[in-house]
Amino acid sequence: MKPSLSIIFFTVSSGAGLGLLALLALGDLLDQALPSDALMQGIAVALALVAAGLASSVLHLAKPANAWRAFSRFRTSWLSREAVFAACLFPVALAYGVLAWTAEGGALRALAALGVALLAWAVLVSTAMIYASLKPIRQWYSAWTPVNYLLLGHWSGAVLLLGLARAHAAHERSFGWLAGVLGVAALIAKIGQWRAITAGARDAPTLERAIGVPKYPNEYSNKYANKYANEGAQPPGMTMARARLFDVGHSHGTFLTDEFGFVLARRNAVALRIAALSAGFGVPAAWIASGATNAAVAWLAAIVCLAGLLAERWLFFAEAQHTVRLYHGAPRT
Amino acid sequence: MRLGLVIDLDTCVGCHACATACKEWNASSPVSGPLSDYEPFGAEPSGVWFNRVRHYELGEYPASKTINFPMSCMHCADADCVTVCPTGASYKRDDGIVLVDQDKCMGCNLCAWACPYGARELDTASGTMKKCTLCVDRINDELLPPEERQPACVLACPTHGRFFGDFDDPASEVSRLTAERGGFGLMPELGYAPVNQYLPPREPKTVIAASDVKALLERGLASLASPVIRR
Repeated sequence: MKPSLSIIFFTVSSGAGLGLLALLALGDLLDQALPSDALMQGIAVALALVAAGLASSVLHLAKPANAWRAFSRFRTSWLSREAVFAACLFPVALAYGVLAWTAEGGALRALAALGVALLAWAVLVSTAMIYASLKPIRQWYSAWTPVNYLLLGHWSGAVLLLGLARAHAAHERSFGWLAGVLGVAALIAKIGQWRAITAGARDAPTLERAIGVPKYPNEYSNKYANKYANEGAQPPGMTMARARLFDVGHSHGTFLTDEFGFVLARRNAVALRIAALSAGFGVPAAWIASGATNAAVAWLAAIVCLAGLLAERWLFFAEAQHTVRLYHGAPRT
Repeated sequence: MRLGLVIDLDTCVGCHACATACKEWNASSPVSGPLSDYEPFGAEPSGVWFNRVRHYELGEYPASKTINFPMSCMHCADADCVTVCPTGASYKRDDGIVLVDQDKCMGCNLCAWACPYGARELDTASGTMKKCTLCVDRINDELLPPEERQPACVLACPTHGRFFGDFDDPASEVSRLTAERGGFGLMPELGYAPVNQYLPPREPKTVIAASDVKALLERGLASLASPVIRR
């Protein structure tokens, strides 16, 4: 798949914002609330990340004037669900922010916190399911996709949350542990997904299956015909023949080659995986372990983490292979 | 009703007449608007097509066979392109035809990602998704003579390798051909239940016996012997 920068930025930025929102609200519910001003800062940063992501996602549309219609198919489309949940999240999060600002306690604030957490998860899951429900892309059509989106969003959100906690000297230990646990879980999920993609190559769709070669008559003499004839045996038939693209039928690129034709060099894939792991996990983990309370260092750690996740998300697209590639000559996806 | 096409891989010669007839008819389609061309007279012409013909080679020379493979929308019975659409622009009619409402589409590409066959192409000039309409503006047009109420690709095919009809009617030509010739849909394992069916190449005719093949091979005439072996 073509790594579309607007979507890559959207999913990483919104993911971190949604993770941060959910963790802030959960912390509040579990009696680990940040002080009022820190909570306000956290909500502001989180909503800014989500809003920037959503704005970026609109850039992906070829006809943004019709974007308002995306709220209309909640019952069937994960993209529509994502839009509806995101639209609901903002007023609830703002209400929660006001309650936090007035240092209001009680049931209303708890209810708002619960609503923020549930809606943040709903948006994250909807975003992930857009990709996880696409059957033609085996690298995405897997439970690993929502697990990764949820854990990576919460991991980057936890890094931001710990930065806030340290700057305000509140609940540093508990949020430090939280970030550590989420980081390990997200790392396991990411590596697990990469391993599953490699393992799935065994059963990946092939060009032969895509054009129905196994349905062709068995009488056809394939490449073994001469050999078999020499030995007086029957040839295995056309059903066993290998296929290759002879001519693609167009002289220059098409929408299909542009959208699905992206090929990632193996060398670049390894380099990017190392970059994603070291920036996305290594640097923030070192910062968590260091216990540094400097706000600038905390911002730096969070930005490096998000940059690493941008590389990870770029790979998520670049390594995904759509079945349309088979019809354009790829032997398998 | 389950309207769709049968495509005969045995008779298709890969001439692209179906694709160009489609482009010609639908260029002024009231259903999907113009099919934009990008740099049509430039160095790298490109554009939107509903129907594309690709060519594959099976086996290895000399025992090889060329398969010409036209592909357009399969009008799947279980069309994910319709369910993933967030705006409601993509829809399936009662007669089975899958269409895009050009006034509602926001060009998010998700339906193209959900289609395993590459049947949908974004028109970057209009910013909307375009796809085969099964010539819905021909097949229902009562001003046309009955024999012309068929998709343009079917009418254009010079080898009579394309057929249009209702797969829900067991007596229709498309149902009969599919049953008789072992027609198949593409990638059924994905579960989209594609309606369009492909007829596999026919078994090769017996021209010489296998014993003659051996004799030809001994004389070094492998290329003569290869395509005609029959048990």
